Amino acid sequence: MTAALDAITVVFVLAGCFFFLAGNVGLLRFPDTLTRLHALTKADNLGLGLVVIGLMPRMDHPLSALKLLLVWALGMLAAATVGQLIARSVLRRGLPIWKGPQ
Amino acid sequence: MMRILLFAGLWLVLTEADPGAMPVGALAALAAAWTSKHLLPPQPGRLRLMALLRFTWHFLKLSVYSGIDVAYRALHPRLPLDPALVGVRVTLPPGMARTTLASELSLLPGTLAVSQDGDEVVLHCLDQTQPIEQQVSTEGTLITSILGDGPDAGGTRHV
Repeated sequence: MTAALDAITVVFVLAGCFFFLAGNVGLLRFPDTLTRLHALTKADNLGLGLVVIGLMPRMDHPLSALKLLLVWALGMLAAATVGQLIARSVLRRGLPIWKGPQ
Repeated sequence: MMRILLFAGLWLVLTEADPGAMPVGALAALAAAWTSKHLLPPQPGRLRLMALLRFTWHFLKLSVYSGIDVAYRALHPRLPLDPALVGVRVTLPPGMARTTLASELSLLPGTLAVSQDGDEVVLHCLDQTQPIEQQVSTEGTLITSILGDGPDAGGTRHV
């Protein structure tokens, strides 16, 4: 039983780390602010979610597990909101928007 | 009031039901409910729980797809991107429903809400060859099924 739970934790946390890594590679490689926002809002959310799922069986108290879920939900809410705010300010300030290789 | 209970529940989760924190929590729940009532006045129509659960499942599935999609594009040696700003007409009422749609689209595969302009939500798309309009209309219908009534249709315009 413990071994199975350990396996779940290892698999999910590793998968989560992979998506965090991919999100940050996107942050470095993508050409402009808007495309970078995609990397941060999407890959990192999935990464956070997988880490949360992996850690939930580790918690002593069900409320602690719920707290992890809450952290995830707030993280997504923040990403969706802040992503829109930054994107809007890119348009307002007329910052360059990448339209493909010319 | 529902919101007081909701915030009190959140407090219990955050403090892991520490009895010492409860008096503060009661005050915080009251203050949060008061603030939220002023910032987000109650709207007609009620939340449909079954629809919300279906939506949550659908959202989680798409989140996984969305993360994989971005990870693939980021790690691919040739960086396959074909981004564009696209205006999509939505018929969801402004306010709660439309904001929910915009926020949700920001987390779904390849779309990021940039601004709202009249009845149009401007999206930044990672790959403009994807069926964006169709996706917006699907999500709009789902959100309508949770929050209340009103059909959703759309039209796309490149900005």
